[in-house]
Amino acid sequence: MLRFIVGRVVGLAPVLCAAIVATFIATRLLPGDPVAVMLSDHSADVQMAARLRAEYGLDKPLPEQFVRYIGDILTGDFGLSFRYVHMPVWQVLKDSLLISPLLALAALALALPVGALAGVQAAAHRNRFQDTAIIVVLVAGLSLPNFAIATFLVYLISVKLNLLPVAGWGTFRQAILPVVILAIPSAAYIARLTRTFMLEVMQQDFVRTARAKGLTNRLVIYRHAFRNTLVPLITSAGIIFGGLLSNTVVVETIFNIPGLGRLAIDSIFARDYPVAMAVVMLFVVFFALINLIVDTLYALVDPRVRDGAPA
Amino acid sequence: MSGALSGWRRALTSARVLALAAALSGGAGFVLSPAMAKTFRVNVVADPAQMDPITYSEIVAGRILRNMYEGFTVITDDGRNVPALAEKWEPLTTGPGFRFHLRKGVKFHSGRPFTARDVKYTYEALLKPGGKGGLNATYLNIIVGAKELKDGQATELAGVKIVDDYTIELSFTKPDVLFPIYPIYYMDSGIVAELGADWMTKASAGTGPYKFKQWRRGVSVDLDANTSYWGGAPKIDGVSFMIVPNADTALSQYDAGELDFVDVYAAAVRRVLRDERYAKELIRVPRAQSTYLGMNQNLYAPFKDKRVREAISLSIDRNAMIRGLYGGAAFPLNGVVTPGMPGFNPNLPELKFDPERAKKLMAEAGYPGGKGLPPVDISSTEAFKDEITYYANQFNRVLGMPVNVKTVERATFIRAMNAGEVAFFPWGWTADYTDAAYYLSQMWYGPSPYNRPRWKNAEYDKLIDEALTVADDDKRYALYHKAEKVLLDDWGMAPVPMTASVALRKPNVKNVTLTPFGFSLFSKIEID
Repeated sequence: MLRFIVGRVVGLAPVLCAAIVATFIATRLLPGDPVAVMLSDHSADVQMAARLRAEYGLDKPLPEQFVRYIGDILTGDFGLSFRYVHMPVWQVLKDSLLISPLLALAALALALPVGALAGVQAAAHRNRFQDTAIIVVLVAGLSLPNFAIATFLVYLISVKLNLLPVAGWGTFRQAILPVVILAIPSAAYIARLTRTFMLEVMQQDFVRTARAKGLTNRLVIYRHAFRNTLVPLITSAGIIFGGLLSNTVVVETIFNIPGLGRLAIDSIFARDYPVAMAVVMLFVVFFALINLIVDTLYALVDPRVRDGAPA
Repeated sequence: MSGALSGWRRALTSARVLALAAALSGGAGFVLSPAMAKTFRVNVVADPAQMDPITYSEIVAGRILRNMYEGFTVITDDGRNVPALAEKWEPLTTGPGFRFHLRKGVKFHSGRPFTARDVKYTYEALLKPGGKGGLNATYLNIIVGAKELKDGQATELAGVKIVDDYTIELSFTKPDVLFPIYPIYYMDSGIVAELGADWMTKASAGTGPYKFKQWRRGVSVDLDANTSYWGGAPKIDGVSFMIVPNADTALSQYDAGELDFVDVYAAAVRRVLRDERYAKELIRVPRAQSTYLGMNQNLYAPFKDKRVREAISLSIDRNAMIRGLYGGAAFPLNGVVTPGMPGFNPNLPELKFDPERAKKLMAEAGYPGGKGLPPVDISSTEAFKDEITYYANQFNRVLGMPVNVKTVERATFIRAMNAGEVAFFPWGWTADYTDAAYYLSQMWYGPSPYNRPRWKNAEYDKLIDEALTVADDDKRYALYHKAEKVLLDDWGMAPVPMTASVALRKPNVKNVTLTPFGFSLFSKIEID
C-alpha cells in the first residue's frame, strides 16, 4: 500500500513541472505589460518604469526570468507580487489558502447526504409523483447556473428578508449562502447518480431475495440496496470535490470571499503574474491530491488496483 | 398510496427541522456579531496596493491613506486648499523655495510629536534609492539635491534646512508656486525603529483623524478613530473600507444595510439613477477628470486643418450623449478645466452641435461629404467601447468620415498614447491635486508626455510657464483662462462630456459626501 502511494506521489512531479512551464508561458503571453499596469495613467514616467522593471527582474531575458522563478518556487516564497507592492506572494496567498478547500469541503458535506437521500427517495418511488418531483428539482439544480441562483437567493434572503448577510467573509452567517449555493448543483448530481445506482441495484437478485424474505420496504432499501451504492458514490465524491473546487471561483466572486479563486481572477486582471502562477500551481496540487486520495480509496476497496492485477 | 403520503410527511418534517436549524444558527450568529459600534462602512473596488505614504501610487490606497495621513495642506469638500500640517509659508528671499511654519501640538498616532525632522525624513524616504518611493516622489524633483540623493551620490537631501522643530526651509532648482498643495503625506520618522521595516502591516505613522487597525486582504481595511486628533476627535468609532469588486454586490450590501455609503461603480449607475427608491439618497457630482477627444495631427493628415478639427467638435451631439449613452450620469464640459477645480472658467461658451456648419467646414477644407478622407481608427479601451462606437457612427453620418472602431488592452493603450502613437481617441486625465495646473501643465503643455495627442502651441506653453511662477491665485487663474482659450480657439481637441461620480448615502449618516475629487473627508462624519 505504501509503495502504491509513494509511486503516485513521485508520479506527480512531471505534472507539477508541466504546470510550472505552462503557467509561466501563459502569463508571459498575456497582452499587457505588468509595469505599465502598475503605473497605469502615469506610465510615461520612464525613470520609475525602469526602476520597477529592475526591481522585479522584468528587464532580464525570459530564460533568466524562468530560472529566477524556479528559484523563487524552491525557496517557497514564489517571488514578489506585482500588485501588492513589495509583498512576497506567499504573504498574499496565505490568508486565502484554505478558504477555497474549506468551502468545497463544507459544500460536499452538505451535498452528499442531501443528494443521496433525494436519490434514494426518487429510486424508491420510481415513476411516481415523488420521483418526478425530485427529478424536476434535480434538473433545475443542475441546469440553473450558480450565479443565477445566487442572485435570486441573495435578493430574497439577504435583501428582502434580511436573514443573512449579502456578502463578505469571517462569520458563520456569511458562509451559509455561499456553501448552500455551491452545494446545489453537486447535490443534484449526487442525487442523480444515487438514483441510477439504486435503480440498478434494485433489479438485482439479492434485493428480490430480501423482499421475498418479507423484509420491510425501508430495510430493503437502506440496509441492502443503498449500501451497495455507497462504493461508487464515495469514489465519485473525489470528482465532485474537484468540481466544487473549480466552482468556488464563481461563488467567491459573487459573495466577495477572499479565497484562491477570486485571487486568481483579480491577479490575472492586474497582470500580477507571480500571484496568478502561484494560485494555478496550488490548484494543480489540490487536484493532484484529490486524485491521489481517490486512487488510494479505490486501492483500499479493490485489491486488484493496488496489486496491479488485471481487472 | 399511503407510503407515498408518509414519504411526503417525512420530507415536510425534515424541511421543518432544516428551517429551525437555519433559524437557530441565524440567531446564534446574530448574538456573536460585535456590539453595535458606530463604524462608517463604505466600499472600495479593490484591495489597496500599498498601505504606506511612501510607496503609495494608486486610487484605492489614496482613498484610505487620506484618512490616516496629512500633508501641508488639505482639500476641503468644496475644492479649496487650506493649511493642514503647515500653518503658513513664505517664499525664500535667497532663491526659489519656501519657508514652512509647521503646526504645533500635532501628534503622530504613536504619540510622538510632528516636527521638521519628520518632514525631512519623509522626503528622503521618498527619494532615496531602494526606498521605493511611489509616484508622488516626482513632486520632489525640484528640491535642490534630489537628483544626487536618488542617484546615491548623497545620503541627505541638501535643499532641506531644519531651522527649528517647527520651521523648515526648502530650496528649489526652479520656482514652483504649487508645492504646498502637492499630495505628499508626512510620516513618523521613529516608526521604523519602533516597529521594523514592515511597520505598515501593524500600524499607521500619520497624524490624521483615523489610525490603522487591520487589513483583512480581500475583506476590509479597518481604521479606528484617532481620539487625540489635532482637528478634534471623530464622532464615530472607526471606518471600514469594505473591499467589494462587484457593482451589484456593493449595491445589495447597501440595500441590506451592510454599507452606510456606497460608491456606485459604472456598471450599476444606470440602474441606480432609474430607481425611484434611491432618489433621496443619491449624490451625483462631475468627476475631476478632464475629458476630451484627442486628434493627433502627426498621425492623420486631415487633422492638420483647423476646420476639420472644428467640424469634429461640431458633429458631436453632447446633450444626446449625456441623455442616451450615459443615462444622465454625465455633465457637459466646455473646456479643459473641470467645474469645482480651482482655476475653472465658468464663462466658457457652450459647445454646440451644428451638423450643417460642420459639413460646410469640411467642404471648405476640401472634403465635401467626406470625399478624399483616408480611413482612420478611433481607439480606446474596452471600457469606452460604447463611446467610440457612438463617435465613429456620428462622424460617419454627419461628415462622411470613414472611421473604424478599435479596442486595445488598457496598459498597452496608455503606453501607446504616452508615446504619441494614437491618432484619434477619447480619454480623460484625473486630477491628483486641486489646481487647474494639473490639467493645463500636463495634458496640453508641449514637453509633457501626457500631452497624448501631441498638440503644440508656443503661446500656450509660454502662458503656462508664466502661470506657474505666480503665487497669487486670481492672477494665476487669469493666465490659465488665457491659455485654455488659446487651446480652444485652435480646436486643439474636442472637449466631451465628463462622467459623473455617483454614490448613495443612508439617511442616518451625516457630514460625508462625494466631491469631484472622491470621498469627502471623513473626520466630521456622524451616524445617528
